Amino acid sequence: MYKSEKQTIFYVLGLYLSSTLLLIATLFATYYFYKQDELMHAEKEILKEYSSALEDKLLFVHENSDEKYEYPRFENFNSAIYDIDKNLIFSKLDAKIDNLDKDFFFKGSNSYYISSLKPHYLGAAYSVVEKKRKPIDILNDLIITALIIITITIITSFFLVKLVLRPLRDNLRLLDNFIKETTHELNTPITTILANIETLDSKNCDEKSMRKLQRIKTASTTISNLYQDLVYLLLNHQISSQNEELNLSEILNQRVHYFSQAANIKKLNLHVAVKENVFFNADRQKMERLIDNILSNAIKYTGKSTTIKVVLTQHALSISDEGKGMSQDEISTIFQRYRRFDKTQGGFGIGYSIIKSIIDEYGIKINIESELDKGTKVTLTW
Amino acid sequence: MVKIILLAVISLTFLNASSFEENCLNCHGNDFKFNMMMKKYTQKYSSEKRIKEAIFDYLKEPTSEKSVLPYEYINRFGTKEKTTLDDKTLREMIDVYYDRFNLRSKIY
Ligand code: HEC
Repeated sequence: MYKSEKQTIFYVLGLYLSSTLLLIATLFATYYFYKQDELMHAEKEILKEYSSALEDKLLFVHENSDEKYEYPRFENFNSAIYDIDKNLIFSKLDAKIDNLDKDFFFKGSNSYYISSLKPHYLGAAYSVVEKKRKPIDILNDLIITALIIITITIITSFFLVKLVLRPLRDNLRLLDNFIKETTHELNTPITTILANIETLDSKNCDEKSMRKLQRIKTASTTISNLYQDLVYLLLNHQISSQNEELNLSEILNQRVHYFSQAANIKKLNLHVAVKENVFFNADRQKMERLIDNILSNAIKYTGKSTTIKVVLTQHALSISDEGKGMSQDEISTIFQRYRRFDKTQGGFGIGYSIIKSIIDEYGIKINIESELDKGTKVTLTW
Repeated sequence: MVKIILLAVISLTFLNASSFEENCLNCHGNDFKFNMMMKKYTQKYSSEKRIKEAIFDYLKEPTSEKSVLPYEYINRFGTKEKTTLDDKTLREMIDVYYDRFNLRSKIY
């Protein structure tokens, strides 16, 4: 699976899931509040009934007693009565009520209902009924159902996303195979050219042909280099780094040798100072790409008959040329170009983006010093 | 000192009580109606303050509209005479009336 494909799946999945979950959450919250409201309403209705039962009893006691008035008592609820100035007349409640304005409320584990009475039997202008609150525990059930639904959504959405992205994936695969095959086919002619030039007997040539031959060789090297860059960029996503302890000194020497032909043509003086046996843990191909790109840039931009210095120490590699150099602005645009790589893919930025991606992977620092008409010095440190 | 105050209070209540017998009970007797009237006032006015105020109001100026008694009753026997007692004594009488007859203290 490609990195980009994985990312797409995650994005789509994330988008889909977050919107669905939001919807589910809203639905459940609404349901929960609605249900709670309903239960409260039911509770209130019960209390209202109690309240009118109390009122009936108060009337009865008021009318039918003379010497003593027995306050009405009920099994399933408690009650209290207050006079019109809100003084307590009689109470069987567990709690003290200080606010008679609200008609229905919860306090502790009880629910209360207050109603005003007229006529004031036994002097009661307000009655308060109190009952054990029915626990509203729909929340647990609701959470369990929600969790089940959410898991189902996640599972189905995963398959759904895969299904939706399938055509895209197939196309990508097709394209990828095409590119792989064509690049592979490009490889053969290039190596053939290079190999054949190498085996050409230079003694059989006059000097003029020899020079032409060398130019062909340099051109082929450039193509080959470009080809390597392309392969690197195209297949990079799939190839995981195979890091090993590399002898950087050896590799550097090889690469310098590889470019020596091109340097010769420009009559460049290659000044190489490589410390022996500098080791670095990295992927061989990537290190080669890194060195090639910096080196070929130096060769490309330096003037004829100048000196290119390649210096390797234990923790640094610097390659400097005596080319036309870059202004401070240009240097910063190079870095910008690295960053903009994804948008300006291809074109000028290829070499820099490869450099950037490799040094980022291995935590190598890059420093570019440049002065106009004096030259550029690229230093890698690790 | 305490004894004197205690004596004074007791004699005062006794005095009040006895004057209640004189001022009110001579007409109202010990009949159940006085009881019933308190019930009616309680039912209509609810709190002690308002009941006392309403009774005071009535006794100062009895009218059939203010009366808590059934219309037929008032119609037949007419309202009572205005009280001849001064406000202070009347209030004391009403206090005694309330203390003896109020419903609140009889709820259990
Ligand atoms: C002269 C006799 C008489 C005396 C003394 C008297 N009452 Fe009455 N009272 C009546 C009669 C008759 C009624 C019924 C007619 C009415 O309600 O106006 C009545 C009615 C009442 C009522 C009912 C009022 C209503 O709403 O209809 C109250 C309360 C009452 N008396 C309190 C008192 C008190 C307190 C006293 C003592 C201060 C007192 N009475 C002294 C004759 C008396």
